[in-house]
Amino acid sequence: MTADSLRQYLQTLETRGEIHRISEPVSWNLEASAVTMLANTEDSRIPLFEDVDGARLVGDPYRGSQRRPWDRIALGLGLPPDLSYEEYYEAVIERLNDPKSPTTVEADDAPCKDVVETGDDVDLLDFPWPYIHAGDGGRYSNLHTLIAPDIDSEWVDWSYHRSMIHDDETASVLLLAGEQTPNLYYYKYERRDEPMPVAIAVGAEPAVQYTSVMWIPTGRDEAEFAGGLKGEPIELVECETNDLRVPATAELVIEGEIVPNERRDEGPFGDYFGYVHGPRRSMPLLRVTGITHQQDPIIPFCVEGTGVGYSENSTSSMEAGCVGPDATLGLRTAGFDVECCAPWKSTPRTVYTIATPSDENGYLHELANFIFTTWGMLHVDFFIFVDADVDPLDQRQVLEALTLHADPDEDFHQFGVETMPKVPLNIYQTPTEKGDVQTGTSKAKTAKAYIDATSDGSATRDSADTELEYRAQEILESAGVDSEKLPFVDPGEGER
Amino acid sequence: MTTLDGQLENLRETDDLVSVAQRVHWDATAASVAAEATRHNCPATVFENTPGEVRLASGVFGGPDQFTSLDRQPWQRTAQALGFDSDCSYETMIERLARRTTDSVDDSSDREPDATSLEDVDLYGLGLPTTDDGEPLIDLGILVATRDGATTWTPIRGVAQRSTTLRLTIPEAAADWIGPQTDASIVLGVGAAPLVAAIQGWTQDRITPDVPGLASGISDVSMATVDSRVVPSAADVRIDGEITIDRTAPDPNGSKSAWERTCETTVVDVHVDRIATREDPVVAFTPLGEPLTDDLHLVSLVEAAQLFRRVNGYWGVSPVEWIRLPVEARLGLCLVSSEILYAGFEWQLANTLFSFSKLFDKVLVLDENADPTNLARSIDDMWVKAHPGNDWIFSEPNAPSATAPRYRQDGETGSRLYINATWDPHWDEEYIAPQVTFETSFSENVKEALEERWEELGLDELVGSNNR
Repeated sequence: MTADSLRQYLQTLETRGEIHRISEPVSWNLEASAVTMLANTEDSRIPLFEDVDGARLVGDPYRGSQRRPWDRIALGLGLPPDLSYEEYYEAVIERLNDPKSPTTVEADDAPCKDVVETGDDVDLLDFPWPYIHAGDGGRYSNLHTLIAPDIDSEWVDWSYHRSMIHDDETASVLLLAGEQTPNLYYYKYERRDEPMPVAIAVGAEPAVQYTSVMWIPTGRDEAEFAGGLKGEPIELVECETNDLRVPATAELVIEGEIVPNERRDEGPFGDYFGYVHGPRRSMPLLRVTGITHQQDPIIPFCVEGTGVGYSENSTSSMEAGCVGPDATLGLRTAGFDVECCAPWKSTPRTVYTIATPSDENGYLHELANFIFTTWGMLHVDFFIFVDADVDPLDQRQVLEALTLHADPDEDFHQFGVETMPKVPLNIYQTPTEKGDVQTGTSKAKTAKAYIDATSDGSATRDSADTELEYRAQEILESAGVDSEKLPFVDPGEGER
Repeated sequence: MTTLDGQLENLRETDDLVSVAQRVHWDATAASVAAEATRHNCPATVFENTPGEVRLASGVFGGPDQFTSLDRQPWQRTAQALGFDSDCSYETMIERLARRTTDSVDDSSDREPDATSLEDVDLYGLGLPTTDDGEPLIDLGILVATRDGATTWTPIRGVAQRSTTLRLTIPEAAADWIGPQTDASIVLGVGAAPLVAAIQGWTQDRITPDVPGLASGISDVSMATVDSRVVPSAADVRIDGEITIDRTAPDPNGSKSAWERTCETTVVDVHVDRIATREDPVVAFTPLGEPLTDDLHLVSLVEAAQLFRRVNGYWGVSPVEWIRLPVEARLGLCLVSSEILYAGFEWQLANTLFSFSKLFDKVLVLDENADPTNLARSIDDMWVKAHPGNDWIFSEPNAPSATAPRYRQDGETGSRLYINATWDPHWDEEYIAPQVTFETSFSENVKEALEERWEELGLDELVGSNNR
């Protein structure tokens, strides 16, 4: 069953023995994140902190297992957690292909309205926003959905921008020009000197959280795609202090506006690629106008920087479990012959692998060009193209393809050396190169590259005899090998 | 004592061996089971019930894909098989292999070998696993030959072509040393030390014909003598006969073994006179051409040790912490962790490595604090720490082609690539981003408080004992 709320999702995890409740008081000041980092590193259960200054925190609730990063994402969608990546990707794609319009409920029927605070009653500091790494610039809300409307149309964008809490009613929001919501703010609202109304849904139901990290085309209703993922309409409810609608089962909703031409410090922050990047930057100011929440809200957070190497966190798992299937669908919709598009498993966002049966002249360049000018513009630096029978989530297979088939002479393609935009969240440019610019982009440009690691007919392996392989795996299983290690591709299915 | 028997016992004790009791034929089935086991990071496999004279074992010197295994390292089985400490670090292992010490063989080398002659058994009767072409595979063994009373061992790969004929490849340098025709033994079912020593002796920058001595320098290897040839006494199978070097013959069928990509090779034909086995013999094999096979593991370590020795003796200082040719990349990539002595040193280091090895044309340079046990993090640094334009450095397209990759196998020249994932020495200290780790992310106070509250928070149950 698809989870209707974060707390229902956590109950699902609990029934499977995957929650570790900590009822002793725990501090938001590094202690909760330290425990979460240990759990992430050890591939252990999800820690639920039941007493953090009288509220609750949950550390990296969407972290998948190191072996199958999408497994808990699947649970949130009511899918079996033991699906192979191919089965899981196709199941998600099927749901995204069947969007469902949201419904609107009355405030009385919306759990997120259990408590409503507006005006002078608003106090962000009533909640235990975690201080996550010792080098961070402040306390953060970093696992939420930011909801913002286009000023010129009915379109409302849902996205995922971390926010650093400053005081009882303000925060700075990481808005990097080039992404959808930041573009609305920098190039529409701010140019017209108007505040951008926003709502931040903290602890929204899984389908909403997953949608907010996907690249949904501009103009499309994100709530419909969330409904598609969920398999039923998302229930929305109107905000108290602006005209936006928010997911009714969210744990907590921050209503407010991102004001024009005002900035506050943001960062440094231990970020998704596993390093603390600096310097402290100036980012747009969120002024809070209302907070509504459920009784005893649960605030989820992500210990960024731990989704690298062997360990997973919410960001890295959602990258493999949400962004991957969405990107695969996007490329197929654009007419490209793509078996699968998935992130490099041990570092989110920077590099993606695309398995494709086609390597016709110009095809890979056109494919890379399409991605680098759309959703891959800011964060992604590399694309690796591999044969259709390579599993893009299997790093050994991808590295092998890269070393054996990518000829330094002709298979590494750069789109210019210093020509392309890049978010300042990188560690290979100096602070001076990145600059402290108003629009949130990097002052210095960077390079992006794609690598053709397709075999060009020199595959390292002849076509697999799936029947023999299946029989061999049966022999190993009967000898006592853990069946989890063996894929057991049904010979009837042939090759991928 | 490091024998194949001993290694199988080690693997059994460490719960890293599965016994296949089911009857498995030595035709393509055995190789297929072995290939599936290595590809999916299974334990080593011993086939208890095969139709021939020998039992088969696979994966005994290999290991798991490091991207998926946190608790077992790819080189652990080889370290175990060489008799090194079970907690031996990668760096220690490479340093030991880099010594290339030649010890005199043990005093009892004039004793009889364990294997005794079999009557009425030919090459097919042994029941060796077959290649895709249906020919019995010869691999993970050594050729033993003498010249002027001195014995050498060489790496081999080949097939049985008829019931009494083997066709093998050996290093060309070894063929030159041995001469065109002589008596020899093919020894199978040996431990790791003879295999490693044979690769070291004949495929590296220094030729060392005294391979038995090299093996003794690595580990304790018991020797015996057959027709004046020194052989590992505990070898499970020995095939005695006459070898003829045939420099015009085509290579034996089947995929190459990894050592063949490190040197020039020559074909030898072996006319078999006698086959001897130990009681209940076991032969180790590896499904050549598949990922993570034993031959890749052995060559990865030998080549890394050679490069480590050479680069750390090259400039009068020893800046390199470790070098790896990950088996996951099938030896087509070299990782080097080093102090960057001065601006441009990374260029010098990468190009020195290209000069010293013909296997790869891609080098990833990492900072000195990179962890050899965390391949995922090393490759992550290639993506996030190296500037995608400025730090991916391609040479002019005039370099010799590398042997591990599958492109430009016709010898056409091309470019080499090194990726500099080290911090720029020009940068101010404040530009250098700290890694997000437990140690760097939390103050001592927080860590101490957590230790004190370990039990109270149930962290034993969550993450295990407080031994961090």
